[in-house]
Amino acid sequence: MSVSTPARRTGAAKAPVRGSGNTPGRRFRLGEPGTAWLFMTPALVLLAGMLLYPIFYTLWVSFSDFDLALFQPTGWVGWKNYEAVLKDPGFLESLKVTGIYLVIALPLQMILGFAIAFLLNVEWRGRGVLRALFLIPMVVAPVVAGGIWRMLLDPLWGVVNYTLGLVGVGPVEWIGDPTLAMASVILIDTWRWTPFVVLIAAAGIMALPGDVYEAAKSDGATRRQTMWHVTLPLLVPVMAAAFVVRWLGAVKMFDIALAATKGGPGNSTNVVNLYIYEKGFRGLEFGSASSMATLVLIITMILTYFLFRISRRLENRW
Amino acid sequence: MVSTTAPAPKGRGTGRSSLGRIATIAAAILVTLAFLYPVIYMVSISFKLPKDIFTVPPKWISTVTFDNYVSYFNQARILPRMINTIIVAAGASIISMVAGSMAGYALSRMRMRGAGVVGGLILASRAVPPIALVVPMFLVARKLGLTDQYITVILAYVTFLVPYVVWLMRAFFKSLPKELEEAAMIDGCSRFGAFFRIIVPCSLTGMVSTLIFCIILAWEELLFALILTNDKAVTIPVAIAGIAADTEHGGLWGPLAAVGTLTVLPVVIFALAVQKYLIKGLADGATKG
Repeated sequence: MSVSTPARRTGAAKAPVRGSGNTPGRRFRLGEPGTAWLFMTPALVLLAGMLLYPIFYTLWVSFSDFDLALFQPTGWVGWKNYEAVLKDPGFLESLKVTGIYLVIALPLQMILGFAIAFLLNVEWRGRGVLRALFLIPMVVAPVVAGGIWRMLLDPLWGVVNYTLGLVGVGPVEWIGDPTLAMASVILIDTWRWTPFVVLIAAAGIMALPGDVYEAAKSDGATRRQTMWHVTLPLLVPVMAAAFVVRWLGAVKMFDIALAATKGGPGNSTNVVNLYIYEKGFRGLEFGSASSMATLVLIITMILTYFLFRISRRLENRW
Repeated sequence: MVSTTAPAPKGRGTGRSSLGRIATIAAAILVTLAFLYPVIYMVSISFKLPKDIFTVPPKWISTVTFDNYVSYFNQARILPRMINTIIVAAGASIISMVAGSMAGYALSRMRMRGAGVVGGLILASRAVPPIALVVPMFLVARKLGLTDQYITVILAYVTFLVPYVVWLMRAFFKSLPKELEEAAMIDGCSRFGAFFRIIVPCSLTGMVSTLIFCIILAWEELLFALILTNDKAVTIPVAIAGIAADTEHGGLWGPLAAVGTLTVLPVVIFALAVQKYLIKGLADGATKG
């Protein structure tokens, strides 16, 4: 096994290629493009059938009346479902809840992740062990994470409240209070996902080029100056990449909220995925569920597009 | 990769003094333990009797019982559900690996028109929220009588695994030297021959870490499984969601912890056994591509 390729440098090396590399196969003539499509076929068939087709189906359901007796969409109703959905305070609130979650949880996880990565970067014998242990929260299934934390945060029997009680705080209604329930969901999500950022950040820090530091040192830069003007700027591409991956996971968040709070109390932690699920599969309102899903799909795609572009730019700049 | 003295700057972020160094190491250990604590707590609860779980102050040491594992497991059919999860996760991961690696290879190494567009679309599909797919999947599966079957869940998982594999493997194939398949093809191998005989064997490390990521992702998936199964094909996350939903009655902490422990344990062992590749895969997956 080769020594870890410094992730950052490879990233920079491939930068000019952009998009997909189509130069390497050059010298093999005859039928090459045809063979390439043959290689693509299994993936394209699967994605067309299981991804593209359902998206169009959702679109169709969102514009039609859903007949529960026949259990299928019937007549075209135009924008009716969308109008209803946009007037639905529950949906708007779930969008807001999702926004709050994303705006607090993602930066929190990025900052914590990079801070811990620096902490773990000290060279000593146990460094590798600690880093490996950070894999553990990451592979705890989200439902399980929600379950464990429900116990930890239990107002009566939970260890968290007991510990807070020792210093005279509480008892705190973690799951019972709307604001604290949101804080709990963010806490659980952060517990599970910060290790992911830590591992990416740690790899990024290890791949930093040493000579830059020699230079900074011989120029008489202080440690703080080195941190702000050398280390952090060099890590921007890694941060951008980690943020994008975290974003892709976070917009799909569903299971932690379901297991920990079930969206409650009230709608205070009802992230949009959970709200749509409840509407569709508890309330059997497939029409409005589909309109909401379509809106969420559009919003997600637009935001992701911009994030990708910004991140690309940041990754290529250094 | 963990122990390599990389060209990385040494001990940045640490005090020069050995005291500062020791303090930083201590802080690192404490933070790690804090992150591990919930898992340790779950494992300990899983071996406790209810009377030892519901006490104030919390009991650190108590009688060890396997009750949560034995009696509850029969009652809730945990073992068959575990097997369901293994079948579904393995099936979806293998299909996605084959389809995704081939596509990733074509995108990274072959000349084709429209590669940019197709590649871009496949990558964009990583951002599609599963909630936008579940209504049709449910309706179609119901119509075709395919609810509660492995194949349905497997195909549903392919939607998020294939783009993931394409993304990771494309980056991986790009890092291989071109000469590999050139030599093979000059010797008369077809593209397919070159791919399966030369490229795949040379990419085993990348493929193994990608496969493990796929298995983990499929292993813990909840939304699709919740909608597409109801009895025979129910997976462990669905079962856990059911138990977790019951916790307000208090009585199910032990079983929840036991099922949780058994769900997490294999993945943790797996992850630690191949941690070297996993960490590398994570770093590459995030920064390349």
